Amino acid sequence: MVPPQYYLLLAAAVFCIGVFGLLTRRNALLFLMSVELMLNAANINLVAFSYYWGNVTGQTFGLFTMALAAAEVAIGIGIILVLYRNFNEIDVTEATTMRW
Amino acid sequence: MSDAGSRPRLKLGGHLLPGLAAVALFAVLAIVFLQASFGEPAGFPEGASITASIGYAMFNVDTEVISETVVSGEGFVVAFVLIAIVLDVAIDGAVFLAKREEDGGIGGVLTDGGRELRDTLRGGDD
Amino acid sequence: MAGIFDFAPAIVLLPFLSFLIALGTALSGRDLLPKGGAIPGIAATAGSLVLSIAMAAAVAGGEVYDETIYAWAAGSVPGSEGLELTFGVLIDPLSTMMLVIVTLVALLVHVFSLGYMNDDGETGLPRYYAGLGLFTASMLGFVVADNLLMAFMFFELVGLCSYLLIGFHFREPGPPSAAKKAFLVTRFGDYFFLVGVVAVFATFGTAQFVGTEAAPGFPVLAEQALAGEFTANTFLGLGPQAWFTVVGLLVLGGVIGKSAQFPLHTWLPDAMEGPTPVSALIHAATMVAAGVYLVARMYGFYAVSPTALGVIALVGGFTALFAGTMGIVKRELKQVLAYSTISQYGYMMLALGAGGYVAATFHLLTHAFFKALLFLGAGSVILAMHHNENMWDMGGLKDKMPVTYYSFLAGSLALAGIFPFAGFWSKDEILYYSLTHGLAGQPLLLLGYVFGLLAVPVTAFYTFRMVFLTFHGDARTEEAESPESVRWNVKGPLAVLGVLATVAGAVNLAPVRVLTGAHVDFLHAWLDGGFSDLTVHHYAEIDPYSSAYIGTELTTVLLGAAVSLGLALTGLALAYKLYAVPTPVEHTDKLGSVKDLLYDNYYQDEYQVYLANRVVLPVARAADTFDQGVVDGAVNAVSSVSLFSGSRIRRIQTGVVSNYAALVTLGLTALLVVFGVLGGWLL
Repeated sequence: MVPPQYYLLLAAAVFCIGVFGLLTRRNALLFLMSVELMLNAANINLVAFSYYWGNVTGQTFGLFTMALAAAEVAIGIGIILVLYRNFNEIDVTEATTMRW
Repeated sequence: MSDAGSRPRLKLGGHLLPGLAAVALFAVLAIVFLQASFGEPAGFPEGASITASIGYAMFNVDTEVISETVVSGEGFVVAFVLIAIVLDVAIDGAVFLAKREEDGGIGGVLTDGGRELRDTLRGGDD
Repeated sequence: MAGIFDFAPAIVLLPFLSFLIALGTALSGRDLLPKGGAIPGIAATAGSLVLSIAMAAAVAGGEVYDETIYAWAAGSVPGSEGLELTFGVLIDPLSTMMLVIVTLVALLVHVFSLGYMNDDGETGLPRYYAGLGLFTASMLGFVVADNLLMAFMFFELVGLCSYLLIGFHFREPGPPSAAKKAFLVTRFGDYFFLVGVVAVFATFGTAQFVGTEAAPGFPVLAEQALAGEFTANTFLGLGPQAWFTVVGLLVLGGVIGKSAQFPLHTWLPDAMEGPTPVSALIHAATMVAAGVYLVARMYGFYAVSPTALGVIALVGGFTALFAGTMGIVKRELKQVLAYSTISQYGYMMLALGAGGYVAATFHLLTHAFFKALLFLGAGSVILAMHHNENMWDMGGLKDKMPVTYYSFLAGSLALAGIFPFAGFWSKDEILYYSLTHGLAGQPLLLLGYVFGLLAVPVTAFYTFRMVFLTFHGDARTEEAESPESVRWNVKGPLAVLGVLATVAGAVNLAPVRVLTGAHVDFLHAWLDGGFSDLTVHHYAEIDPYSSAYIGTELTTVLLGAAVSLGLALTGLALAYKLYAVPTPVEHTDKLGSVKDLLYDNYYQDEYQVYLANRVVLPVARAADTFDQGVVDGAVNAVSSVSLFSGSRIRRIQTGVVSNYAALVTLGLTALLVVFGVLGGWLL
């Protein structure tokens, strides 16, 4: 079997790609996509360790994580809609009124 | 026919600088994971149906009385119900956020498919 | 019976109670007391007088009293057993004598105030009687103080009351300014006094005037230190003798200020802006006596320091002559009396410096009586003349105000030192001691004697110039023709003090003792009792003086008396010739420019203002700059650091979400690295 380190490495890579997207993307929708990537990286980890321990809990929990991700995206899209209404832009670097 | 000038281009610039933090994070995680030592993975028993096991685990079905080989797990029925509630709340929240405000009240979510915007942009003709 | 001494604090507390009553009346704004607070004041001082006489009777029976009433601070000082700051009461011959004087004069002044203030229709009387009550309480507290710190505290309180009472008519321009001047000049001296008090504590560990065999007071400790039996802490690298002199001179600063000696005498003539009973009580008989009383109280300490004694004698003698010369050209009644007070206290300081402890105390006693008498008499004249004090507007009052005239005359004869009035005996004894101790190899004392002797005819001259201008001759103005009549509450105190001024000399007829051997020097015997460390013969043992005579003791006494009496009579005769005429003229004009010098008080006032402007003001400005720049600047700098760093650090809040995410990521990475390295699972 593939040693668990590589699954962890894969999950870390996907997570860090998501973080990269979070840090550099200016479009709010692409921002949300990066967040989805991070959530899926965590799911990879859960499934990998479900196999390692021989327990199905990890995979079941992964299902719940996916459901939560969906819920979060729903709310996120709603927020982006309100953001557009207020700033006429979906560029996250434009909404800077809550600053010093 | 493809317009060579309008294909998507990779935008490189100063705005990519914060991304270095992500690279650093990956480096740290990689170092830690590659040095970690794990034992042998336990794996699943031969002939076990994982999907069925997930189902039994999700609904707290008593696995003693089932004939086939089942991978053990914890009960998630409470979490299942909670997730149902959360998803419901999420859809309601999304609808609420999408509603427009009209003079004197909250309006509906139905839109006009962009007709008004087109009219404004084209100056009223068509 | 020791029981009477337990009432000693009541002597101080009774006038304080009358102060509180009058203060309450004043604050309430309503007319609660019929005479504005005079009755409680009179009752309180009468009560204190009775208690003081009872104490004196007990002391005459040979008992003394030194108790600590309340220890208000106790602490440990490195290198000694501990320091205690206390309030205590010391009743011995000197303090009972002073108690009787102060309470008697205070009582008479309170009664006189009924006539001067109440009958004259003055307003704000509760404030006045409150001030008098607080003053009496503070002065009595000062008299019975058993340690130097308590004496200092009451010294300051007395100064405060003087300020309050001088500035009684605060709505006019003169009195508040005079009150400030009095307070500031005495405060300047009191600064040195305070340093001296701290020095006494630091040197001896105690500021008690007298103690027990095991824990003596600081004068005895000073004696023992010079004999090598006690180690005192000295400072500035000086030996014990030099350091004790320094401490003595520091305390002397306060004495010079309070007793209006040169150069801190400038406040007393201006203090005459206050009401006349205040002048009589405070600036004649009691407050200015506080300085002299203090030196007498700690005389055991001064006696072991010849330099300090010499300074005291010289300052006193010089002031006696200096002030006397200024008195001869004044026009106002109270001004002459003010300079006379300065001059007479100079005599007392001369006596103390010359080793004449009894002489100084005797003159303190007689002066209190005749000066208070003169001030009250002046008050009576001022009342009659509708507050016109200019002597050149008076004249011929002796037929119209006989009681005032005869008592004033008695006081003047006492002041001038004419036989057999009280002043003659006391002044004569001062001059005698300065002569005999001076002849025994002390040129400074001889100089003081010469000053004192020269001041005798000057004193007689200005005193009788004042008497003749005021009472003799023809009336020079309308008011002098028909003066306002005064009532019993003015004449009564005058009569009492007149009698005392005449007969008080009988207390210590030292020349008679020398002449006949009869023991009539009662005051000497009185002051020779009480605590063994505070007796006259103890002081005579430890002071650095011996006596030398011109011929024998008897001839010296007679010669001295004859010379001073002769000079006094000469002064009197000159004043009589010049001023006891129907229409006197200003003969002092013949002095020419000297008169201007004297009238302007040798420009001492201008000099002090100059010093304040040229010396004190720049120093104060520099101190202010230091305070604003360095002290305030340090505080402001600390706060500006906080403000500046805050204004820079808040720029992290850019409002851009991606920046926050970047910070979170960096923070996470850093934490992982730190925990990994410390935990050992990274690298």
